[in-house]
Amino acid sequence: MSLRATITGQLGSISAMPVVVGKLRQLLSDPDVEFRELSEVLKYDPGMTTNILRLANSAYFGFRTQVNTVTQAISRLGLKRMSELVMTAAVGPIMQRPLKGYEVPAGGLWRHSIAVAIATEHLAGQLNIPVPEDAFTAGLLHDIGKMVLGTFIEVDTVPIMKLVDEKKIPFDQAEREILGIDHAEVGSLLLKKWNLPESLVNVTRWHHAPHLSEENTVVLNLVHIADSISLMSGIGTGQDGLAYNISKEATEIIPINIKIIESCAVYTMQKVSELSELFETN
Amino acid sequence: MMQTVGISDLYVSDNKDDIIVTYSLGSCIGVTVYDPVVHVGALIHCMLPLSKMYPDKSNTNPYMFVDTGVTQMLQAVYDLGAKRDRLIVKVAGGASLLDKKRMFRIGERNFSVTRKVLWKNNLLIAAEDVGGSKSRTVILNMDTGKTTIKNKGQEVEL
Repeated sequence: MSLRATITGQLGSISAMPVVVGKLRQLLSDPDVEFRELSEVLKYDPGMTTNILRLANSAYFGFRTQVNTVTQAISRLGLKRMSELVMTAAVGPIMQRPLKGYEVPAGGLWRHSIAVAIATEHLAGQLNIPVPEDAFTAGLLHDIGKMVLGTFIEVDTVPIMKLVDEKKIPFDQAEREILGIDHAEVGSLLLKKWNLPESLVNVTRWHHAPHLSEENTVVLNLVHIADSISLMSGIGTGQDGLAYNISKEATEIIPINIKIIESCAVYTMQKVSELSELFETN
Repeated sequence: MMQTVGISDLYVSDNKDDIIVTYSLGSCIGVTVYDPVVHVGALIHCMLPLSKMYPDKSNTNPYMFVDTGVTQMLQAVYDLGAKRDRLIVKVAGGASLLDKKRMFRIGERNFSVTRKVLWKNNLLIAAEDVGGSKSRTVILNMDTGKTTIKNKGQEVEL
């Protein structure tokens, strides 16, 4: 069996997205949702409720006054924000683990993911682009394929890095040559399995090559740039380092310049620990 | 004792037992200085070249920038008795993404400002491992004064 087939075959055995996430996101997409229904779903997942409340009270999302219940959090933050908090609370615990092959220590992928989520939203603001729906979530999930390859499958990245060094090619291209698949595609297959919206699947799938996507959306290009800024800043960077292409087309679609890049790096650096240290690592 | 330097952080030491380390320098620059006579040294991890783009410095940390950070590091080791003519300076990091338009050239600029600040302070770089697209971990051993670079499980003296 090819390595690709082995990897995609193992996707099925990865713990499913907590069932409550699907239900909550569905409920939160309905503007007429009744709070009673939400509390009913969360009643059976106290860990999730705790994490949602931690996020709602964090410096990044939070307000001056303490939020004590999910109902209060929704009325303060709104349904869309709440939906992003639910996703963050759900993937946080699994994305904390170390990525063995990629030499990313525990919490590294999580810090990188949070950084990209924050930078994606911030870039939109800096450029006066309306923040696309699910921008934070799209940034948060873009590298989830690394979690699959590094934690569950524990791929041997030595031959991949060797190829990067010898041929001077991007890391994702070397992944494709050695494994028959790259972390971007693995991540997109997982998100499909989790029944997440196509817009999120698309961002994860094409975050290293937005110009190749048939749906070359603003959020996809924002995540590509935000990822590049976070990699440069060294937030949770692994041994793959900076061996990734910058899409020329993305820098034309998103009119950035060095000043925006630098100030986004400063902002992200200042905000990242407000969120990345919320959940304990086990 | 292992002393970890985060992103935009500085650690200054006159303790021979210290091993100072900073992880995953991307485009950031890491500078180690060491005076072998008095065993005073420091490691800084700067993210961006120039502080002047950020006038509101009350919110930002001087170690975030090469110009303010490296200058303060030098002052700190001189305060502990290090002498300029004995100081061994080593530089690592400044990597870049594969960027044909060279818009994201922060790594390159970090290194060029580092050289400028050192030159202004009459200091030469004894060794460097900069550029490319790899992420580097830098370690300064305060007992031996050796600076090493760790990448892909291998540790090499700089």
